[in-house]
Amino acid sequence: MSKKSVLSNTFALLVVACLILSGCGGGQKTQTPNKVATFIWNEEFDSLSPLYSNMWFSTITQQLWDCWPWNFDENNDPFPNLITEIPTIENGDISADGATITLHLQDGLKWSDNQPITSEDFRFTWAMAVDSKNTVASSYPYSQITSVDTPDPKTVVIHFDGPFAPWLTTFHGIIPAHILQPIYDADGTLDNAEWNTKPTIGCGPYVFSEWQSGSFARFTVNQNYWGTKPKISEIFIRFVPDNASQIAALTAGDGDLSTFFPYNEIPKLKNAGLTIITEPTGLNESLFFLDDTSGKLGNPGLRDVNVRKAIAMAIDREGIVRDLLLGMTEVPASYWSALPPFWNNPPLQNYPFDPQKARDLLDQTGWLDSNGDGVRDKDGVELVLTYGTTTENETRQNVQAVIKQQLAAIGIKVELQTYSSDTFFAQDGPAATGLVDIMEWSDGPTVPDPDVYYWYCSEIPTPDYPSGSNWQYLCDPELDALSALQITQVDPVERQKTISQMNQIFYDKVYWLGLWVDPDVWAVGTRLTGVKFSGATPFFNISEWDLVDK
Amino acid sequence: MTRYILRRFLQGIPLLFIISIVLFVLMMNMGDPIATMGGRTLLRPEDRLRLTRQLGLDKPIYIQYIYWLVGNDWTKVDMDGDGIAESAGTRHGILRGDFGTSLVKRGVPVLQVIGERLPNTLLLMIASEIVVVVGALLVGIYSALRQYSTFDHFITAILFIGYSMPIFFVGLLSMYIFSVLFKRWGLPYLPTVGMFDPTVGETFGQVAMHMILPVLTMSFVSFASYSRYIRSTMLEVMSQDYIRTAKSKGLPRLTVLLIHALKNASLPIVTIVGLDLPFLLGGAVVTERIFAWPGTGRLFLDHVARSDLPVVMGILMLIALAVVIFQIITDIVYAWLDPRIRFEA
Repeated sequence: MSKKSVLSNTFALLVVACLILSGCGGGQKTQTPNKVATFIWNEEFDSLSPLYSNMWFSTITQQLWDCWPWNFDENNDPFPNLITEIPTIENGDISADGATITLHLQDGLKWSDNQPITSEDFRFTWAMAVDSKNTVASSYPYSQITSVDTPDPKTVVIHFDGPFAPWLTTFHGIIPAHILQPIYDADGTLDNAEWNTKPTIGCGPYVFSEWQSGSFARFTVNQNYWGTKPKISEIFIRFVPDNASQIAALTAGDGDLSTFFPYNEIPKLKNAGLTIITEPTGLNESLFFLDDTSGKLGNPGLRDVNVRKAIAMAIDREGIVRDLLLGMTEVPASYWSALPPFWNNPPLQNYPFDPQKARDLLDQTGWLDSNGDGVRDKDGVELVLTYGTTTENETRQNVQAVIKQQLAAIGIKVELQTYSSDTFFAQDGPAATGLVDIMEWSDGPTVPDPDVYYWYCSEIPTPDYPSGSNWQYLCDPELDALSALQITQVDPVERQKTISQMNQIFYDKVYWLGLWVDPDVWAVGTRLTGVKFSGATPFFNISEWDLVDK
Repeated sequence: MTRYILRRFLQGIPLLFIISIVLFVLMMNMGDPIATMGGRTLLRPEDRLRLTRQLGLDKPIYIQYIYWLVGNDWTKVDMDGDGIAESAGTRHGILRGDFGTSLVKRGVPVLQVIGERLPNTLLLMIASEIVVVVGALLVGIYSALRQYSTFDHFITAILFIGYSMPIFFVGLLSMYIFSVLFKRWGLPYLPTVGMFDPTVGETFGQVAMHMILPVLTMSFVSFASYSRYIRSTMLEVMSQDYIRTAKSKGLPRLTVLLIHALKNASLPIVTIVGLDLPFLLGGAVVTERIFAWPGTGRLFLDHVARSDLPVVMGILMLIALAVVIFQIITDIVYAWLDPRIRFEA
């Protein structure tokens, strides 16, 4: 072959390759009759089974293809989904002693393979959640259930070992007994069930179609859906871990919906025509104080309520929300601020930002800079506090810097610490072992329920009980008693009174300080219509969503 | 030759064993895999205790290493927390080909987790390696032949700009220009992230189109070192007596260049490529993350973040094994390229 023909053949090959590439995958999208909405998640789910994952991106995705007995609307109020009505004491579905809940299933409920959804699916879900052969993500709150009776296919009777107020947190997703029981019988566990990562049989408006690891997951319309058929024919979830790429993809129109992006990117998204929607989830970005009742851990200064009050008044939380979070959220006055107003009655007023008042308070209570080193002290204790948080959230590092500066202005020195989440939250990590005076992370009640358990005296970690969750090491008998009471009060009105009392204690003694209400922040593309979100079940009305070409 | 290869493989076994111990101890100190299993709130203490026990994370580090190495199917484990080991272990250990199951994607075998990503990584990495090697050969040879020409200076400047820039910057910049701005300006544009457009499907053209930016990004930052290396070795070889002899014999220029010069200049290049190839398995952590490419680099990063020891160890051990194998292959290629090299003692 001559040199000339080699060159001409090579050129011809290049031209053909270019034609193939431009023809098959060019910038112009092919018109297809399907309405495909692309969601961009920046974390890939670990499992799709409601039993094997607590991961938020998994639990929200489950709402596409799985079903719950009840959903929550945009006000985070529950409404019936699989059942005919929400159980109450008045309608008799909550027993007088509060220990038994009865669910009545609607007619015509079906799994995507056309098999009926029955009470047996509920019993099986509970049985699998508490079976020690299964390494489920959370056995709570199922572990509070002593038995599930199935008197007929449409009635589920749930027995707790006592009155259990947070019953609305149970059965967030059910699993199909007719598919998984044979697998459990054969393997002795559900751990290795393929259904956990490929739940091809579901009961939501969509049905699982495909999950390609690291790349995407695809959900198509459930043709046997018992409810309102969705208008969008396919939900395509793309995993984009990098925030800058996520924003670029959204502004380039390569995604219709996304969340979990830094606040400082919001203007870019708005400029590109996306709508930003915030929805409270019950979570607050919080400062937890190491207030060791035994007096062994942490800076003794934090055991003085006046120091904690001074800290509350020295931090310009409104300023942080305005400047760092672009005013997209608000400062919580209460641990329950992000729940519906019912749980915040009467509402509390925030400690004002008043550094002078904070300085006066410290002066009056004997916290003075006696040795002239610029840091207040008392009885030989210097107000030098360690302040730790996680590295994964850039906003937290910015807030740390601001708070350090603002506390320095009232004579409190802060030493900043940052850790990866798997270190910070480890059982032998700095937070759990009392090495951090002020701990920051986002947390809240057991959404959508107001239950809280972090402050139980019995939860203080000890050598015999290192997994205790009371990382404040605080034991307040009054708060302890109220925490134990509220979880048994199935009458919401009575329970709300108890929560209010707890709220007042939190406020008066500053056991906790909320920095901002930490809502879900959604970016909605221009093509999506009919979109509403809930904090507890974000996609509660996804059947009503539509795509329009603009 | 066969004896040499066998001997090198046998030498690799204790090496891999030592590597596995070092990595296991290091990885055990990454963090607590249970710590991030609570989702948006902390895992409840009873679940923390249960999962620690069920996943065998409460065992001393040497026991966990033994289980990872030889399995635990010869013993029993306490799944129900009553203090009595009642359930037979199910793990076979890496020596019997069982890399364990992921802690994060619970129950999914590690080899499956890695296997799902490996083809994507190899597709991306091999494509960029080919672009880099072929491009660097062309540029390196041309620069050597036209030393200190305008082209040589120009290409050197461009290459060093690429070499000096962090890969995330090149990636994001190229994405912003060729995807976001081009689309805004109404020009033909490239996709931002992923492997294909969902409305079109996973076609050859779509995947190729989505590969352009990540491949070019990786190539741009790696081009300089390869091409400069080729340029300098070619310059050295071209000044040798045998090249002068070949030229004086009247051999065609292309023959002198490709048969006599390039083959001899290739030895050091083979060394670099041989060292690079095993790390192709590890993927490109930054590039895969930026372009949302579902490869092993991202897998590694995601699972390190959640302290998923079985998956992380699986990836690292596969790379270690690949390093051993590719070093042997490199030695064999040496002998083919340079007949003076013999393996017999």
